[in-house]
Amino acid sequence: MPDEPLISIPTAAEAALVSRLRARDETAMTEFYDRYSAALYGVIQRIVKAEDEAEDVLQEALVKIWHAIESYDPSKGRLFTWVVNISRNLAIDKIRSRQHRVSSRTQGLDDSLAAQRQAAPATFRPEHVGLQEITKQLVPEQRQVIDLLYFGGFTQSEAAEELNLPLGTVKTRARTALKVLAKLIR
Amino acid sequence: MENYQEILESGRLEQYALGELDPAARAEVEAQARRYPEVREELDALLAGLDVYAEAHALTPPAGMRERVLGRVLAEISTATPSVPAAPAPAPEVPTMRVLASNPHVASVAPVAEPAARRSGWAIAASIALLLSLVGNAMLYTNLQQTRSDLALALGEQTRFASATQVMERRLSATQEQLHVLRSPDEYKLVALAGTPAHPTARARVLFNKAAHRVYVDVAQLPPLPSGKQYQLWALDQGKPVDAGVLTAATTAGDGLQQMKDITSAQAFAMTVEPTGGSAGPTLDTMTVIGNI
Repeated sequence: MPDEPLISIPTAAEAALVSRLRARDETAMTEFYDRYSAALYGVIQRIVKAEDEAEDVLQEALVKIWHAIESYDPSKGRLFTWVVNISRNLAIDKIRSRQHRVSSRTQGLDDSLAAQRQAAPATFRPEHVGLQEITKQLVPEQRQVIDLLYFGGFTQSEAAEELNLPLGTVKTRARTALKVLAKLIR
Repeated sequence: MENYQEILESGRLEQYALGELDPAARAEVEAQARRYPEVREELDALLAGLDVYAEAHALTPPAGMRERVLGRVLAEISTATPSVPAAPAPAPEVPTMRVLASNPHVASVAPVAEPAARRSGWAIAASIALLLSLVGNAMLYTNLQQTRSDLALALGEQTRFASATQVMERRLSATQEQLHVLRSPDEYKLVALAGTPAHPTARARVLFNKAAHRVYVDVAQLPPLPSGKQYQLWALDQGKPVDAGVLTAATTAGDGLQQMKDITSAQAFAMTVEPTGGSAGPTLDTMTVIGNI
């Protein structure tokens, strides 16, 4: 079960997990970890880069999810969207707090791209929409923009500045890329 | 924003999905999603797209991390859950119960077993003390829980304020930049773009800083675009069109100045309608406005 794509977990299964977490059922936390940790760790690791820091952020995220589960509102979106956002925000806070951004942001992103490529065979699960498919669907310019926005913690204006592009171009690329991604699961 | 089409085009939904909006703007988008099913659908699609992107980067955590992380998480959340403070309780409780139960019996033989009575007196005192301490612990524990959730709320508020401030600062600096462009007639030459015969009411202007090669565009009125199209600005240099970038939906609607691509030299500017993202060369029969420097 932990291997099925999270995006296609039936809403009922998600709702059951949420209500167990709300009922303060600690065994639900273990199940949550087994289902979601790889996805959350992937996002966190790509943002903070350092493995030990990624571990800390993952732990922080799980504790935060446990404490904040009352405020999760299913009518606003899926559990996965919510927990990824919590993890992503904590990871971005982490890199901002160590003032990592200004000095090494772009380079770091490239480094981690290389690291990802090396790690790929062992860690990517083929039944998911994989990076290869995404790479096939997105042109490199769109991928670069989405990476900065999603994993770099940049706003669209900051990305425009970073890439030395008009804001309009960044917005168009981000928008087109999001549309392409949305189509992958339809 | 009145109709959902405008909301879909505004770029706000993308900003929402990427987490760029401050809480007030988030709430606004959520309200729009409740009002228009089309907005809800689009927003869900965008969020799902990012979820796919996130999950495509899934990485199995290194060996040993599951035990470490899960162990620490469970330890941390257990201290904040009633089950653990209750755990040490059964041990002291056993003697307490025994003393209380034996108490009437002890009392009946009181004259014979005075030391036992005194001992049970101490035991009663001890069990009352223990009971008080358990009640005290429970109260402290409730207070602690309350304080924790207050603190979490306060931290959440603080983060939201910080991000709202960041957004305001960025808006302010964008506005200041626009103001500077508008207030510097020496630096920026104003080029009025008038509508072509096919679009007599279309009007826009370009602010061109020849020395710095900067180009801004400001729309007064442009005909609405068919879907999948964008206005693209061209600089005409010695009669040759040079791409100056595409106009965002906001700029097209006349929301403000937009900085375009840098242009080294131009004698005129013109706008055409091109497929989203722009074209390499202008589609001349769609020319909407043009103006000489």
